Amino acid sequence: MTGDAAPLESVQRWMQDALVFPRRVDRADADRLLAPSPRLSAADGLAIYQRGFLLRIAGCMREQFPGLCHALGAPLFDDFVADYVRDLPPESHTLYDLGRRFAGWLDESRPDRDMAPAQRETWIDFMVDLAGFERLVFNIFDAPGHEGRKFADAATPDANLRLQPGFALGSWRYPVPAYYHSVRRGQAAPLPPAGETFAALVRTDYVTRTIPLTEPHYFFLKAMAEGGTVDNAVEAAARHLAVAPDEIRQTWCAPQGPRARWIEWRFFIEEEPAGKG
Amino acid sequence: MIAALPRLGLGLGLRSVHFDEILAERPAIDWFEAISENFMDSGGRPRAVIREVAEHYPIVLHGVSLSIGSADPLNLDYLARLKALAAEVEPAWISDHLCWTGVLGLNSHDLLPVPLTEESLAHVGGRVRRVQDFLDRPLILENPSSYVRFAQSTMDEPEFLGRLAGETGCGLLLDVNNVFVTCFNAGADPAAYLDAFPCESVVQIHLAGHQHRGTHIIDTHDRPVRPEVWELFRLAWARTGGASTLLEWDGDIPSFADCRAELLKAKDHMTGPAEPAPASVTPESSGAEGISNPVGFLVPRAMDSIEMEEA
Repeated sequence: MTGDAAPLESVQRWMQDALVFPRRVDRADADRLLAPSPRLSAADGLAIYQRGFLLRIAGCMREQFPGLCHALGAPLFDDFVADYVRDLPPESHTLYDLGRRFAGWLDESRPDRDMAPAQRETWIDFMVDLAGFERLVFNIFDAPGHEGRKFADAATPDANLRLQPGFALGSWRYPVPAYYHSVRRGQAAPLPPAGETFAALVRTDYVTRTIPLTEPHYFFLKAMAEGGTVDNAVEAAARHLAVAPDEIRQTWCAPQGPRARWIEWRFFIEEEPAGKG
Repeated sequence: MIAALPRLGLGLGLRSVHFDEILAERPAIDWFEAISENFMDSGGRPRAVIREVAEHYPIVLHGVSLSIGSADPLNLDYLARLKALAAEVEPAWISDHLCWTGVLGLNSHDLLPVPLTEESLAHVGGRVRRVQDFLDRPLILENPSSYVRFAQSTMDEPEFLGRLAGETGCGLLLDVNNVFVTCFNAGADPAAYLDAFPCESVVQIHLAGHQHRGTHIIDTHDRPVRPEVWELFRLAWARTGGASTLLEWDGDIPSFADCRAELLKAKDHMTGPAEPAPASVTPESSGAEGISNPVGFLVPRAMDSIEMEEA
């Protein structure tokens, strides 16, 4: 590339590459394209942008993944982030998108990826799960919700119950929600033993609650999250537990059963069933 | 068009750490500047907050990702989201920076400098016109802080911005801290920069603090405004006829009262004789280098707003 009237696009491609892949920079290119000042050489000036790029992204990622940063320690977390943005540079105008692909990237880039599951490092599973949980939390913070509007109540017929928009479900190989909350409370949080974990995240009044679930409850709510009704969810849970649907229905409607608790926790809004009205 | 824009007085950047206090106490402040990207995609609390703030204060939308200087096509989805937010909060104006943030569909999340050439001027001018048509309002563009200059540049920044404003009708946001940072790093005279700046097109002035590293200055927005920058403000205030003025504080953000107190120092620099410039500008920071154009504040305190119930 020559410095004389290089087209705008080629100059910008060069500079962007210099930020994302600083080791690839040819010092001679920098000296041709950038004018030195009495205070800063071309390379010195470029280095300010290069340092700023990584510091800025790492700072934002630490905000989005505080539990994972705690688990890894900030220096190692920053190293992971540096590799992540080199493999998957940011694409969106919003910094909220920075962490979207992080859990998947951690899983894809694990060094034991091609080994049998039983031979893999379990701590990597934990890191991947924790990153996935934290992304879920971050997403629900700014997702469309139901604030300022009416939620379902005890009188709402089952046929009209729908999950509210500020709701998400997750299942993990490790108890990552409890780990995350321990970290946020400032408690020393050792890496927990493996244990299948299910939870709902529900946002009301702009505060998100993590609600631990049993496995049957998770499958019940998963059926509703996929657009199903309470009847669909009863059938899904019955299939999962290999019991009669009526047995599930009795539990669902019991005085302290999930229906009452989940309505109290504002899982549901009321919607007229399709075809009525 | 820009002559009809209001003089808003002294304003502060709207930051999430101050949301609760602003909503609860409605402090005396003339206006707020909101970072567009912090609110335009929001379906949660930030969007609700800006709607409520806009009911009580004049609002300006200030963007960091329009990427008006990029060789990539304009992002029409971004512009549509920006326009929808503007329809909701009715900002006095919409601003962004003379910069690019990425090419080839990527985004560095930094405000990168544009080569100041005839080619860039034609390119940016065409895009400014399209953005103004799309948004149906004038765009206001800010001089960025910079750490490099392109060898192929054929004009300086004031000339580039003056011609851009003249050809497109866009307005200008004069960041006097950026003037100081850019000129120091380039070994140029900030007073001469200001002398050449097209002050007749200035709609708004920015103030901020910076980190002096001795060899160079980083535009960190994380501390009080330096005396040299206040002196530039005094000149800019007089030459723009009292343009709307805003203090940016984006790192280590202090209490709202402290931000407001720093902003109100501007009143001391609106009148009176020039103060003697410091004989030499000395470094004030020996710690780690800060981040230019910090954006950490753009990520709201999402991870704080979560609780855990018992099973």
